[in-house]
Amino acid sequence: MALSFTRIFDNDWVGPGLVSLAAIIGISIFQPSFLSPFNIFVLLSAISVNMVIALGQLVIIAIGQMNLALGAFGGLVAICFVAIMELYGVPPILATVIGLAIGALAGGLTGFVIARTGISAFIITLAGLQIFKGINLGITEAQPFYGVPQSVKDFGNLSMLGPIPWLVLPMIIASLGMWYLFARLRIGRYILAIGGNRTAAELSGINVTATIIWAHAISGLLAAIAGMMLVARLQIGQPTIGDDWLISSFAAPVIGGAVLAGGHVSVAGTFFGVVIIAIITQALVLFAIDPFVVQIVLGGLILWAVGINRLRELRVAKFNARTA
Amino acid sequence: MTALHVAHVSKSFPGVKALDDVSMTLKPGSVHALLGENGAGKSTLIKIMTGIHKADLGEITMDGKTVRFANPRQAAAGGLGVVHQERNLVTRFSVAENIMLDRLGNHSLSSVNYNAIAQEATRWLKQLDLDIDPMTPVSRLSVAQMQLVEIGKALSLQSRVLLLDEPTASLTPNEAQVLFRILRRLRDDGVAIGFVSHKLEEVFDICDTVTVLRDGRNACDSAALKDLNRQDVVQMMIGRAERISKRAPRGKTTSAPFFELKNYSSAAGHKGISLAVRPGEILGLYGLVGAGRSELAKAVLGLSPQTGGEIVVAGKPVTIASVAEALEHGIGYVSEDRKAEGLILLHSVLANAGITVWRKLATKFGFLSDTTIASRVGPVLKKLEVKTPSLDQTIGNLSGGNQQKVSVAKWIAAGVKLLIIDEPSVGIDIKTKAYLHDLIHELAESGTAVLLITSDLTEMVDVADRVAVMDGYMIRGVVENDRNYERVSTAIMGFIHGRKAA
Amino acid sequence: MTDTLHATDNFMPEQRRGSAVMRLALSNELGLAVLIAIAFGAFAITLPGFTSPFSLFTIGRQIGIDTMIGLAMMAVIVTGGLDLSVGAIGVCAAMVFGFLAQKMGIPLPLAAPGAILFGAVLGFINGYTVVRSGVHSFIITLASMSIFFGVMIFLTQAQSFNELPASVQALGKLRVGGMVSVLLLITLAVCAALSIFYRYTVLGRQMLAAGANPRAAELSGIRTGRVIISCHMLTGALAAFAGLMLTARTGAAVPSMAGHLGQDWLLPAFLAPVLGGTLLSGGRVSVVGTLLGATFVTIMTSGLLLMRVGEFWILACLGLMLLLAVLADRFRQQVLRARGMI
Repeated sequence: MALSFTRIFDNDWVGPGLVSLAAIIGISIFQPSFLSPFNIFVLLSAISVNMVIALGQLVIIAIGQMNLALGAFGGLVAICFVAIMELYGVPPILATVIGLAIGALAGGLTGFVIARTGISAFIITLAGLQIFKGINLGITEAQPFYGVPQSVKDFGNLSMLGPIPWLVLPMIIASLGMWYLFARLRIGRYILAIGGNRTAAELSGINVTATIIWAHAISGLLAAIAGMMLVARLQIGQPTIGDDWLISSFAAPVIGGAVLAGGHVSVAGTFFGVVIIAIITQALVLFAIDPFVVQIVLGGLILWAVGINRLRELRVAKFNARTA
Repeated sequence: MTALHVAHVSKSFPGVKALDDVSMTLKPGSVHALLGENGAGKSTLIKIMTGIHKADLGEITMDGKTVRFANPRQAAAGGLGVVHQERNLVTRFSVAENIMLDRLGNHSLSSVNYNAIAQEATRWLKQLDLDIDPMTPVSRLSVAQMQLVEIGKALSLQSRVLLLDEPTASLTPNEAQVLFRILRRLRDDGVAIGFVSHKLEEVFDICDTVTVLRDGRNACDSAALKDLNRQDVVQMMIGRAERISKRAPRGKTTSAPFFELKNYSSAAGHKGISLAVRPGEILGLYGLVGAGRSELAKAVLGLSPQTGGEIVVAGKPVTIASVAEALEHGIGYVSEDRKAEGLILLHSVLANAGITVWRKLATKFGFLSDTTIASRVGPVLKKLEVKTPSLDQTIGNLSGGNQQKVSVAKWIAAGVKLLIIDEPSVGIDIKTKAYLHDLIHELAESGTAVLLITSDLTEMVDVADRVAVMDGYMIRGVVENDRNYERVSTAIMGFIHGRKAA
Repeated sequence: MTDTLHATDNFMPEQRRGSAVMRLALSNELGLAVLIAIAFGAFAITLPGFTSPFSLFTIGRQIGIDTMIGLAMMAVIVTGGLDLSVGAIGVCAAMVFGFLAQKMGIPLPLAAPGAILFGAVLGFINGYTVVRSGVHSFIITLASMSIFFGVMIFLTQAQSFNELPASVQALGKLRVGGMVSVLLLITLAVCAALSIFYRYTVLGRQMLAAGANPRAAELSGIRTGRVIISCHMLTGALAAFAGLMLTARTGAAVPSMAGHLGQDWLLPAFLAPVLGGTLLSGGRVSVVGTLLGATFVTIMTSGLLLMRVGEFWILACLGLMLLLAVLADRFRQQVLRARGMI
């Protein structure tokens, strides 16, 4: 009994899941409007976008790297997406496909440079951040594109069913896809193997270069999805899309129990990480607390999660030492 | 019938001839020992066989065909599997997935069929008598089980030649016996097995043939082990018979101990350790790999917390929480891992030799100059005959022997009263080794207490005054060293094996 | 020929001379100096006004500020770590300075050191958390950048301090000899002090040792934890210094002067030291290289701006420059290794 109890708590998503549940119950007691259909709709929209962003970082964390350029990918794709629809009248479906391709290409290119040169992902993605952001601003001259077709606007602002927005759809597809990728697909297992023990992966004949490129291409793809989701939600092609992704893209996976050194991630845990962040952000608005406090809370959450993960690692190490 | 033939291989590294015309023949159905002292060229030979290094001369054939592997991966695909000392497993993955890691699917987006993998893995686990669920994460296995999984992984690639690098280093005797039983069965199935070990008992237990390397040359090439006895093998390894040291036993010092451990326990796992080193005495600390010797040195230096007992320095009980504090008490430590723990390879000879005296030499405001440091460490480096173009030379560019001299010199410059020296002759040439032994004696003669850790029994008998025998993180006994190799080694082994018999 | 020595033979000095020239030719400092000369020459010839006293003054002032930002990051790259919160610390310190000077009426000679000390305290928080948790500085400073910046915005309500004593702005406008910014001179003095610090003080040497190989440094009797905390404190102090210089330039302490969360500083912070040859893996710094790196970046930016290249495209160019810098560094290391020089 005691054992199975501990086992449950060893699942990455249980802790954040319980915290989410407690937060929802707690806040709705003090502020019943928290569970109003409108608020749920807003909350789910935010969660949907942020989950896809977090997944974009998650796949890079899994391989033991980091991606500072995630927001720059998303921003660039977002404005390209609107630009081709506005300027060349490209139909939304085709524009979406082109947007996805740009994201995957930008990511793949970054991955290629990292894998081939062996230079730290941090510095390459910092350069990438600057380059892609520069291109974005160079094209737009920091002015938004307004020509978003009505169908795209509707997708970002209408409900699919009751308080459930359409935006939930891409999030569910991306989440299930990534879960399947890490659990079942060869590429996902290779990403985790390289993150877990790169030497072993290399000696076992895994093509490390190709796998790193794959991981970054997937990251770029997810950033592209998130960027276009934001276009739909904001109803304009804002050049500033992606500017504020960095912190939350790390916070959610870390809260969800991802090991920053790579090799272990949890899609479900990340989901609850996103939920916790969204609830806190919403709650601050509901209780009319200064929205700037969000930044402080996000930073605090990262530190808290890192601390918890660290404790768990130590406990596992102790357990292994005892049983070895 | 030859599974793998190494023919006249030579390999030079800048300044060192690592291998000189080395040959070796592995036959199917035979366990072949590859022996040699540290630095004799065993690891270089393995690296050449698996394609990590390229041979300058000579060739390697498998089943009569010349092979030139570009990397260990190719070697494995070509039927040459290696089980390295360091574990090469993804510990969060299951046993089955680790065994089948390169066969999870045909292309990047194929789904992994875990049932099929588990079935395939079970086949190999059965062969190894490993009764574990193939879906168990590797992190839950014992070290011995992990080793078997690695062997299974190599076998699953249809390896006809299996090289094991010190496979028993971290195994208990019982686990080693299990491993040997499996190796014998693989041998009977026709696998050619190469076996690298330091433990001669094991070699005589399991191997049929032996190749001995000494200073990068064949001291013997694939000889039958049954025609040899232990003495012959040792003679080939060290180039002379195990012998009485040329050094006479030194006179006993009777002064009060400089450093004592009284019933000392540490968080690293040491229990009830008591030992004492007098000024001018060389106390040896002998034990097999994993006995806890280096760990004891590091615990005493404050790297693991003390959990019981007393550390007494110069008659006063002290607590030591960091190496900096140990240095203040006059204790220094020469690490066995020169590159990772001993030296800062990126920095100059001067910076490395002076690191221990910076604080002592600085002015009130923390300033100090190269000249001040050079005037302190220069004479020591000169006395130790460190060969370097200048003090500004990056230390990574010096030979292993000269690097080792610098790592000793920094403590001499700091004027320590107890020097703990861990495996001083790993990876250095014979001449420097002899020099270091003289140096240790000289240090002792001038009143320094020395704690010498080594797994090289000859070195131990040659240098130490007394030998404390360690096993399982405890001191099993102390042997007075009268330079009689036979007697001392028997006594030491008695202490180690006495426990295991009990 | 390599530098590896055989135990028996001594080294041949004449064969080292060639490699010394080679080494200098491949050094970052010389390469940068040549690039700076070429870029400066080209802009001076093609762009009228590039060499006007005012232009030289603004370029020099920008070099002063960017170098200081680069030095702040360099001080922590020494440990093999990094500090994403430099921008946040810089802005926080500037706001503290604004508060002290404007609200409390504390004289500048006290307010400025107070703000720098505050930067060092924030650096201490980073360093202490990194050392005690054993978590990589990337994630710790990612969190602290959010927290520092958030607290600052919360407390200031995003309001600037723009009624600072007039002498602050005067300092930013002060020129020596008609074209040299005082801010540049201050930076040069800090460069000199840091060069001496890393070469001639115990703590400076310990920082390099602990950064190159913390394990070996610890086992040689260096209190690595304390030394790494000191590195973060130095970073905090230098970032605060840069924040003050920026305040002097604008004449006001503005919460948004380093962008959202202070992220705008990240590129100059890494670009200057990386161009200048500071190893990202730690253990080796080049103060002069950082100065030259910042100089090169500033001259290129100013020149391109004068050529009417949009400022946004310059952002992309700077990113590209960082990429090229690390690639060049990789290439240089390969050449050196092939020739056995490292």
